[in-house]
Amino acid sequence: MDPGIRLMERVRTRDVDAFEQLYDGYHRLVFGIGLRMLRDPGMAEDLTQAVFLKVWTAPEAFRGGSFVAWLSRVARNRALDVLRARSSRGEAEIPPELPLEGALDDDVFSRLDAERVRDALAALPPEQRMPIELGFFGGITHEEIARRTDTPLGTVKTRIRGGLRKLRDRLGERVSR
Amino acid sequence: MSESDREAMLENVALYALGVLPQEDVALVTAFIANDVQARREYADLRAAADSLAFVASEPVDSARSARLKERLMARVREDAAHADGVRPRIGSNPAVLWAVGLAAAASLAFGIVSVIQDVGLRSDLAATQRRVSTLQSQLATTERVGAQDRQTLTDLLASDARRFDVAGGSVVVRGGHVYFTFSKLPPLPRGRVYQAWTFPKGSTVPAPSVTFTPNANGVAVVALPADATKLGAVAVTVEPDGGSKTPTTKPTFVRPLT
Repeated sequence: MDPGIRLMERVRTRDVDAFEQLYDGYHRLVFGIGLRMLRDPGMAEDLTQAVFLKVWTAPEAFRGGSFVAWLSRVARNRALDVLRARSSRGEAEIPPELPLEGALDDDVFSRLDAERVRDALAALPPEQRMPIELGFFGGITHEEIARRTDTPLGTVKTRIRGGLRKLRDRLGERVSR
Repeated sequence: MSESDREAMLENVALYALGVLPQEDVALVTAFIANDVQARREYADLRAAADSLAFVASEPVDSARSARLKERLMARVREDAAHADGVRPRIGSNPAVLWAVGLAAAASLAFGIVSVIQDVGLRSDLAATQRRVSTLQSQLATTERVGAQDRQTLTDLLASDARRFDVAGGSVVVRGGHVYFTFSKLPPLPRGRVYQAWTFPKGSTVPAPSVTFTPNANGVAVVALPADATKLGAVAVTVEPDGGSKTPTTKPTFVRPLT
């Protein structure tokens, strides 16, 4: 079981020690998302604080599934708010926090780590990897990705779908080995 | 829907899973996912793959920054825990709201101090500032509330444990006490006409008027009914004059029992 899930159960009971363990275990992830999206260590620090305060004040917002996936969505949403405030960019929509119901179930997800995901991502052809990374960390729409990379819109859509499918297959293979 | 249209929609599902779909397209894609088994499976698969990308972001935080951040955060959490006594949240969770509250407090304090100052112009400026802060607070609260409702709607529509009932042009989705209409191809309406939802309490054949709605240019509409689904026996839709009716005036486009 994802250790974050167990800790969140304790955070719901206002357990400060559990919260501290949660912070120790996951602040690098949140800070990293903030840094990748906002490109400013100070803002990434503020984002990290805001995200963990949300975890403390509204633990009921986590309704199961993968804790890492949920936390990263909260962090991305916060970072997107900041990016939107900065400019009048086209707004992308991050899907809601759902319990994972796909083949990459909680157990598989809990066995993933940065190295495995980096390897799987690096194995994608650059033309698929680049729009996926740009979309995930850039907080921009596929239309903006197409503009920035001077690629036809339809091609961007096809590459993103193909890349995500390959990524999902590779991650599934890696954790089952 | 042709095969090529379907493939195009599945590509949009992938964009949504990655979080790069423009907001204006979300209703269409959500309706498609809610009404299509393969789309739901594909969405779950691809969203899991997209979620995994967060692992790539994990960055070492330099020790000074990490210590400073943790100290600041834990101080607030411990203080909150010490005062909580079952009342929460004490800490505002949205930095924008915190800013607004801080600004409001600052403006309020400044407003108190300035009461001894006879400069009417300055007081007027401060009053305007306070009004702006108040408006901002109100807007932020509304945005938070609307955002939470939207997220709840999407969560319900995409959930695997939601009950789905096919109807003309879309489906009725029920999850817990919530009930939604998701239409992906509603016929356009004549000018001055709207669609209206009707609810039938369990055991009753008398429809109660509910919300009115109009689909977008593509015939897409996602509607949350303000009713407790656990108390409903059926739902229906009719076409009514703009503003809605108290009783149906046209033949229903569908009547769907929720069983």
